Amino acid sequence: MQASPRAPASSSLPTPHIEVERLELYYGSVPAVRGVSFKVLPGEQLTLLGPSGCGKTTTLRAIAGLEQPTAGEIRIDGVPVYSSERGIHIRAEKRGLSMVFQSYAIWPHMTVFENVAYGLRVRRTGAAEIAEKVHHALDMVQMRSFASRRAAQLSGGQQQRVALARAFVFSPSVLLFDEPLSNLDAKLRADMRIELRELQHRLGITSVYVTHDLEEALAMSDRIVVMRDGLIEQTGTPDEIYRLPNSAFVADFVGAANLIRGRHRSDLDVDGLIALEESTGHIVYGMAYGRPVGAELVVSVRTVHLRISTEPPAAVQNVWRVPVEQTVFQGDFTQVHLGWGTQHLIARCAAMEPLAVGGEVYISVEPRHVVVLGA
Amino acid sequence: MQSARSLISAQKLAGYGVAAVAAVLVLYPVFFLLQAALDVGDPQVRPPTAYGFDNFNGIFQYPQILLNTLTVSVAATVMALVFGFVMAWILTRTNVPGRHLFEQLMAVPYYLTPLLGALAWSLLGSPESGFINQIWRALGGNGHLIDINTAYGIAWVMALFEGSVAFVMIAAVMKSMDPALEEASQIMGASRIRTMLRITLPLVVPGVLGAAIFVFAEMLGSFAAALVLGLPSRYYVITTAIYQLVQQYPPKIQIAAAMGVSLFAVMFFMLFLYRRIVMAGSYVTITGKAFRPRVADIGPLRYVLLGVCLLYLFAAVGLPLVTLLYASLQKIAVAFPAAENWTLENFRVAVTMNAVRSALANSLLLGFGTATIGVVLMGLLAWLIYRSRLPGSGLIEYIVMFPQAVPRLVFAFGLMWAWVAFPIPIYGTLWLLLLAYLTVFLPLGVRTIAGVMLQIDKSLEECAQMCGASWAFRVRTVTIPLLVPGLVAAWLLLFIASIRELGASILLMGPHSKVITPSIVESWFGTSSELTAALALIQTLVVAIAMILLIAVTRRVGAHPVD
Repeated sequence: MQASPRAPASSSLPTPHIEVERLELYYGSVPAVRGVSFKVLPGEQLTLLGPSGCGKTTTLRAIAGLEQPTAGEIRIDGVPVYSSERGIHIRAEKRGLSMVFQSYAIWPHMTVFENVAYGLRVRRTGAAEIAEKVHHALDMVQMRSFASRRAAQLSGGQQQRVALARAFVFSPSVLLFDEPLSNLDAKLRADMRIELRELQHRLGITSVYVTHDLEEALAMSDRIVVMRDGLIEQTGTPDEIYRLPNSAFVADFVGAANLIRGRHRSDLDVDGLIALEESTGHIVYGMAYGRPVGAELVVSVRTVHLRISTEPPAAVQNVWRVPVEQTVFQGDFTQVHLGWGTQHLIARCAAMEPLAVGGEVYISVEPRHVVVLGA
Repeated sequence: MQSARSLISAQKLAGYGVAAVAAVLVLYPVFFLLQAALDVGDPQVRPPTAYGFDNFNGIFQYPQILLNTLTVSVAATVMALVFGFVMAWILTRTNVPGRHLFEQLMAVPYYLTPLLGALAWSLLGSPESGFINQIWRALGGNGHLIDINTAYGIAWVMALFEGSVAFVMIAAVMKSMDPALEEASQIMGASRIRTMLRITLPLVVPGVLGAAIFVFAEMLGSFAAALVLGLPSRYYVITTAIYQLVQQYPPKIQIAAAMGVSLFAVMFFMLFLYRRIVMAGSYVTITGKAFRPRVADIGPLRYVLLGVCLLYLFAAVGLPLVTLLYASLQKIAVAFPAAENWTLENFRVAVTMNAVRSALANSLLLGFGTATIGVVLMGLLAWLIYRSRLPGSGLIEYIVMFPQAVPRLVFAFGLMWAWVAFPIPIYGTLWLLLLAYLTVFLPLGVRTIAGVMLQIDKSLEECAQMCGASWAFRVRTVTIPLLVPGLVAAWLLLFIASIRELGASILLMGPHSKVITPSIVESWFGTSSELTAALALIQTLVVAIAMILLIAVTRRVGAHPVD
């Protein structure tokens, strides 16, 4: 399940900024991370995505130096900061990284200014330089006018900005984010997502971002590592992860998808399309995107890619006439449950004429949107 | 480059050092207590020449003492639970006027100490000279109305003070119950009575049972009230019997030790049972969420319940204080009030008498010492147990919390026996008392500081680390400043506890290292009740000042929530 579709970095690529190799971390006998390897390139924003308990936060904290792994190696700029073989474990404060915490961790006994200045004071920066850098950082997060406030008097969003300014003010080589937006309400989260992305581009800083929120991961990352049960499920760009999930888990976790199981009918394969026969005889054409195709197949169809029409569509492949079982109005879209063979398909359509439950409609999907999942 | 190994050395070595100090403090006396209990050889020879269990059989030579202990403990537990339950129900579930104020006042009896209550109630209820009995006879009654020098008298005084402990525990259970559970029952059509019987009571039972066991264990080990009220009528319970066996000549150290070991074995079992019950009952109580309990409008009945609240506080706080104040201002307290009987002489004597002044000075000195050293030691221990993730921290927690299950008198007995044999001559000095206080208050201090420490989000410290701060730097700039209010509160609590300490001090103080609380007891039996009343009030004043500071500090913590 570890296989990443990406080829190993060729010599033309820059040296990775962070390298994690065969990382394992056990709490007693309970595994949290069971052998994870990935690289982060300079200036890249990499996201660790997965459900709670998948080991993403533990991996991040191991990079930070806040958790001591059980085995493996972590290198930053080619220098090992942790290596089980060589007995190296550099303390978090010596690694030159920075981190934004899920709880913000704004020190309540200090002002906003003092919070942000902390990392500079640790580095024995001069008073004038501290003032200049702190104000610059606060400007970047639009919090300058709050400099003399006590941290306890700030709202959640403001604390978030202060935490951010504090994290980058001393120009760390790497920024780590531990679900920084999860405590904000939905509207603010969407705004902060854009701001964070912009800031990251402006600073050009390498960052590793942990989240369980798909939209956040898709919007903010250069690359995504999907994790599950302490292992890497898939690594790729947001587009790859979304378009070409390589397992049922990724397909389902990364956005809603219909999974269809069946037998490979190689006799019906045509024009590079793979034909699948579902148990009631429906034939579905999909694409393998270079993945090996076995005798038993699972394909994924995103709910947004299923088209519903009352007239027969022009296409000849992947068209079925099916009964409408239920419709759920959800504002921006309507979720339609359709009977299809022995299973149900779910389609999400933009606002449309209400469909009569029990009536029949045509559904269709382009074969390029029917993705054969990896074994 | 920092290797994994050098990390172990610095921080962990310091950690294990502190843990070792705590372990020695706790385990060294316990060892000597056990040794004395199992010593069946010649009592004059140390170390023991023979070991066996005969001393434990010896306990049964005193069946009356065991019966007395049981009578007093059961009676006191029942009364304390009734007080606690009634007050908890009134103050959390009814709209009695001023219930928020009452809720805070309910802590006062606990801080007034059973000793103070015993002195006051002795003045009020001794069969011959007690004020209540004098008034009874003046009104034409015969003999005495009440006799405080009996099992039920002792239990009454103990229950008045332990009632506030029972209240806190039971009120917490009632508060942590989701009112939706009762509302659901009503929605299903159950009547109020049915809801009460089928939902409310079963939900609070585990909590009340837990409180009962906890209070009973405390009663088994309580000392002050039984000493003051039982000694005149030669009514002994196990703690006063241990005290008597150690103090008499020749002392019966071995039997006393066996009694002590048995007592703490029983208390240990009780507290174990308590933890089991509290955990088993967790389906209601330990959600960690405080609900706003449903308050029943009880109409005019609320003024009756207000009377109940006032009555309890009057018996536990008002009456004892007024009695002592009156007695301290009289030349002869037992005489009927007359103009020429009023005097300030007792207070003058109290502050000028050498013995008293040195006892008070010693107590203050010990209070400052215990609180200051204690906060450092217990702060480190709390950090070690709850934050360091050091292997073995669970064991350290057990050792540190161990004195909780041992009556202070018994612990002091072990300490005495341990340090008498120790090559450094600290027996009979204030140093031994300091050691004793630091040991017996370990659970109090560690728990108080840990409470504040656990409120501080771990990421506050980790964030400082990510900013590049070394351990020492982040402790100085983040951990300590955040802990300060909690440390100040712990300091004041330790100070108060030291000033009031009786059980350990009475055994360990030497002729040149007297402290205030045992001196009050000595004065009670040796000098006059009027002077004793003055002394007790002076002590109460010192404690009250510390209390007010404590409340001010905790208020400030409340004003600046640490999240």
